[in-house]
Amino acid sequence: MSHSLNEIEAMGKRAARGAGLSWGLAEEAAKGTRWLSAFGFPGTEMLAELLKLNDQVPPIDVSPVSLSADIWHAPARRMSPLIAGASLSDCAVRLYERGSITMKNVSLPLLAVPFMGGAALRLGVPVAAEWDGARVATDGKHLCVQGDAAALEAKHAERLVFSAPAEMTGQNEAVMRAEVSGGSWDTLNQFAHRTFAPATEESRLRGAGAGLSDND
Amino acid sequence: MTDIPRRNPNLVMRLARLGSIHQSRLSFMRVLTRRMAKEGWRFERTDFAVNDAGEGHAVYTAHGPDRSYSLIAYAHDLPPEKRSDRVIADAWDATFTLFDGIPTADDIQRLSQNIPVQEAGRVSGTELSVSRANRSVRLWEHVVSRLADGRQPDAAQIEAVGYLMRTTAVYGSGKLGAADREMIADRPEFRAPFQVEMLSVYLTRWFVLDLVQHMANRRASAAGQKAATLSLDLARSMGIGNSTGLGMAPFLLNHPVLFNNWVAARENAIQAVCSLDSASTEERALFHALVERSKQTIATWHSEHQIQIEKLVELRSDVEKLDEYLGQNDLTGPRPWYNLYKWAENSLSLEGQEWIASLILEPYGTLVDPLAEEMAADNTATFRIAGAMTIADLRGLLKDIYAWALEIDWDAPNNKARAWYVSEEKLEPRLGERFEEPVEQYEQPLAPGRDAALLYKALAHWPDETHVADFLLRHPEHRHMLRRAQIVGRAPYAEIRDNTISDRVLPIDMLRCKLAFFGATQFDPRSDRWVRICMYGGAPLPFELDHANADFWVFPEIEPQRQESVA
Repeated sequence: MSHSLNEIEAMGKRAARGAGLSWGLAEEAAKGTRWLSAFGFPGTEMLAELLKLNDQVPPIDVSPVSLSADIWHAPARRMSPLIAGASLSDCAVRLYERGSITMKNVSLPLLAVPFMGGAALRLGVPVAAEWDGARVATDGKHLCVQGDAAALEAKHAERLVFSAPAEMTGQNEAVMRAEVSGGSWDTLNQFAHRTFAPATEESRLRGAGAGLSDND
Repeated sequence: MTDIPRRNPNLVMRLARLGSIHQSRLSFMRVLTRRMAKEGWRFERTDFAVNDAGEGHAVYTAHGPDRSYSLIAYAHDLPPEKRSDRVIADAWDATFTLFDGIPTADDIQRLSQNIPVQEAGRVSGTELSVSRANRSVRLWEHVVSRLADGRQPDAAQIEAVGYLMRTTAVYGSGKLGAADREMIADRPEFRAPFQVEMLSVYLTRWFVLDLVQHMANRRASAAGQKAATLSLDLARSMGIGNSTGLGMAPFLLNHPVLFNNWVAARENAIQAVCSLDSASTEERALFHALVERSKQTIATWHSEHQIQIEKLVELRSDVEKLDEYLGQNDLTGPRPWYNLYKWAENSLSLEGQEWIASLILEPYGTLVDPLAEEMAADNTATFRIAGAMTIADLRGLLKDIYAWALEIDWDAPNNKARAWYVSEEKLEPRLGERFEEPVEQYEQPLAPGRDAALLYKALAHWPDETHVADFLLRHPEHRHMLRRAQIVGRAPYAEIRDNTISDRVLPIDMLRCKLAFFGATQFDPRSDRWVRICMYGGAPLPFELDHANADFWVFPEIEPQRQESVA
């Protein structure tokens, strides 16, 4: 079914929060999912898969141990692309100074790509990411993609390398609508539901301030 | 002479003042009517298929210079017990969508399956908004029965209510599958915020007038009589009511850059007008005339809510003080507007101060109106955290913006008595009692003051020179607040500089602020967390909109107008 990008972002934020991410990281997850969806990637599917994988896992276990390490890696044998990606965006200047940042054992690497879009906008130069059989580069507004769907949508990358400045070859423009599979939407909805308070008669009356008649 | 500074965010962004803001030239309804008049928009009713029970549909199209937009209205026969303004309602007297272009019969059929059920339906990228409205039961029946009886309705009863229908939600920007704002934001007619929603409501008002006439005609016809035609003056005096609840309050917190741009545009306008060395005879005359017209609005502003009743007593006393001031100061001296504003700031209530602050902009369309173009926001650039900022700089930022919050004792229960949450019932935003209801685990990040204080405390033992990127890796729980602080560092009017979870917080202050930017007047709080207003009351109807009436319609005419009939 066709969805608006705002719907995808709103759902992504609630679902990521429901899966245990902090509000700030949930916001990043939502923006990233929107960004991927706008370029025709299965953003909601990949987010749903990641949230299931890391449901209730303490974020520290799947976060980079240090941002100054030569190779970013997590204590667990997999690193969250959302947390590592957010850190990459925070380290845009460091990425430019170092020329590249390498990460080890990243789940669903495509989910980290939107963050380099943010880094590219901040730096004003294109940023590229490469992993097994896939290369994507972006200036934040356009995207060039090399690799087949299987490589791009890989579940895991042993080695993920971000580099700046990068070269843009062949460009995709973002679109304004996205197709979302029913299954992924249902999964996100289940996570999102955890953030909603159960309806009670008391909250129905007090919480929204019903009082004077609204039928006059 | 020294330069006049912009008003300080620490003065402007307090809840009590935001809750006293008045509409201005920059209000979104006025931006729309000015544009449509200037560009010579054409309006037509292309379809009206409503039966004797009031069920059916109608289509109204607005033709701009490059594009056309159509309001598709669905009318329903609603049982009285189903009529509720709450988000959790599931049936309405009428439902609407603003369609991008001119709908085909297939579009009208497709949408007839979805628009009447609102949140339970799906729309597509050709729909720009989804909304619904309920009748004012007392006024609707009065108008229908009077017209059906061959008479005009009672002007006093119309004035007491102000509208025949009130909208209870107007969804835009991608909701329910509609077009994202980004799809249409580059169109000049939608560059200013909320123009889709304002156009939808403007056309809704026309439909409602047609519907009430239709129902009166049918009732008269059934009795073998001919109904009276509603007089144009009475028709024009009615607007569209609106019930606004808690959902609007989080909006201001969740769109900080947008909110900054609204407030900054108005503050820039106030600064520009205050900086003028003198006022011409025409400018002074216009100001005096609008003060008089504005007094009518204040005189007929009714509210049953104690807080607003008290504010109105003060505002009416402010009106008298202004008369005295203007009796002694004829605005011919140097910097007349700055001196008037400064006098207001020292002498009037917050309602009075903000009334004057908006009113002094009126004679200066050329100076003020272009600022409306800067009121929209693209959040992309401000969303990313500047990770290379040092902890020392972040501390400085927090001390600067959130000084008021760092002074609050956040352990005291009264300072955090409330919690914002979302109910699973239609995702209705609600405000709960933290210590009385099990809602804290569902709390939304809508308490920036508290969160800024927590962040400040968490930074205490971090070295000055460390980058915030390293802090965030260890403390993802502060990511939201840190981003917010950086945004407000660049956009000083982005933050409500007040406690949004205290036991004394009044959500109606946030609602009032947003609705004033829409252009509403005569706010009528119905509790501390929902408010009724009227939109477009007194505005020219689409078929009479022109350059002469597009701008100052919000101020009631003082001379009684000539009685005319609707053509």
